[in-house]
Amino acid sequence: MAAPRPAERPRNTLLILLAAALTLLTLQFRGVEPLDAFQQGIRDILSPVRSVVDRVTDPVRTVWDGIFDYGDLRGENERLQTELARMRGESLTAEADDELLERLLGEVDIAYTDLETVVVRILGTPPGNFTTHIVEIDKGSDDGLAEGQPVVTGAGLVGRLEQVDRARSIVRLATHPDFRVGVRLVDSQDEGLARGTGDEDVLVLDAGIRSDASVSVGEVVTTSGGRSLFPADIPVGRVFDSDDSTEFRRAIVVELAASLENLSFLNVVIGAPGLREDR
Amino acid sequence: MTARLRILVVLLSATLAQATVCSEFRIGGVGVELMLLVTILAGVHGGPERGALVAFWAGLLYDSVTTAPLGLHALVFPSIAMAVSSLERRMLRNTRVTDALGVAAAVAAGSAAVAAVGEIFGQASFDPGMLGERILVSALFTTAVAAPVNRVVAWAAAAGLPMTIELRRHQS
Repeated sequence: MAAPRPAERPRNTLLILLAAALTLLTLQFRGVEPLDAFQQGIRDILSPVRSVVDRVTDPVRTVWDGIFDYGDLRGENERLQTELARMRGESLTAEADDELLERLLGEVDIAYTDLETVVVRILGTPPGNFTTHIVEIDKGSDDGLAEGQPVVTGAGLVGRLEQVDRARSIVRLATHPDFRVGVRLVDSQDEGLARGTGDEDVLVLDAGIRSDASVSVGEVVTTSGGRSLFPADIPVGRVFDSDDSTEFRRAIVVELAASLENLSFLNVVIGAPGLREDR
Repeated sequence: MTARLRILVVLLSATLAQATVCSEFRIGGVGVELMLLVTILAGVHGGPERGALVAFWAGLLYDSVTTAPLGLHALVFPSIAMAVSSLERRMLRNTRVTDALGVAAAVAAGSAAVAAVGEIFGQASFDPGMLGERILVSALFTTAVAAPVNRVVAWAAAAGLPMTIELRRHQS
């Protein structure tokens, strides 16, 4: 048998490596446990080191963020000032009073007290540049967290746990394009499936909803419970666009009650009536 | 220290730095693509075969610290290392500027390839309108830290290889 020419060997090596990577991807998508355990093991080993580096670099990072995210901070400041002006200008009806209180209490306490929750702190964005709409939190399976558990603030639904390690977890935010939640329109009692779109602070309810359902702008939307992963009656938001002119596939835009920008603390629902344990 | 041990040390250190410092310091939400940089430089200094092998392990380790499925970066990185190695050998003349532009272009190509493969496997969650901007920032930011990383990767990836006689520079 003739020996391979020098140029052929790297090509063969590349083919073997590509085949190995594709095999790993296939096994991962088929849910082979040892691969998940391998990834989780590496993340668990790195977790204490990451915590130490977080603490050590915190002062430098504050300066860094001040320099490179100055535009974002100024934009956020302007947004908050506009919001404040709008709220001052509103005549505070009884309903608005409640809403204001809810917003003020938003991130510090949870309004629907029947749910058993764990308070977690947001650490930031996980490593990698090309995944958005996910955040990393400072608690994991050691604190009773499990994949699929709903994540909320006092204002409403924020997302769900996507990946849980021993001391850290990843939250998929409600705006993530792969996020799905069963919802109920409180006035009409119509139910459907809402999804994230990748846009900030909105969901689109375009599956399972009747095209002739009577939906009004401002109507409150909550989780529907039932077969959904989420327990019932967690506030999701309000209808922003009822899309009542469409005859075929209706796409109702829901503005999220909880602002997903500049969050610091979240509540993970670990116990609630109807919370499924399977994910 | 043998070449394999050197490569292991560099890969583990790079993984640690990627999961910590590179994730902490971001510009517009974009951090340094250190594992991709190691891949590119391994292709330059280690040649196509060794470069591809280092790139595969770099990709696997990167997959382990991100939310990507195991094998996503490992699928893309070896091809990048081999392409960089092949192109580098065809370059007639290297200067610092062409080297920096080459690294930036390779980072941009690698990032775009990762994003495209991620999309195929249903992993993309970014706004497609922001992709170009993210790739550009990532390429510039990563190139800015390439010089010190280059020395370390050269120390590891070129270990044990026959010395090359540099004929391209200083030609009269």
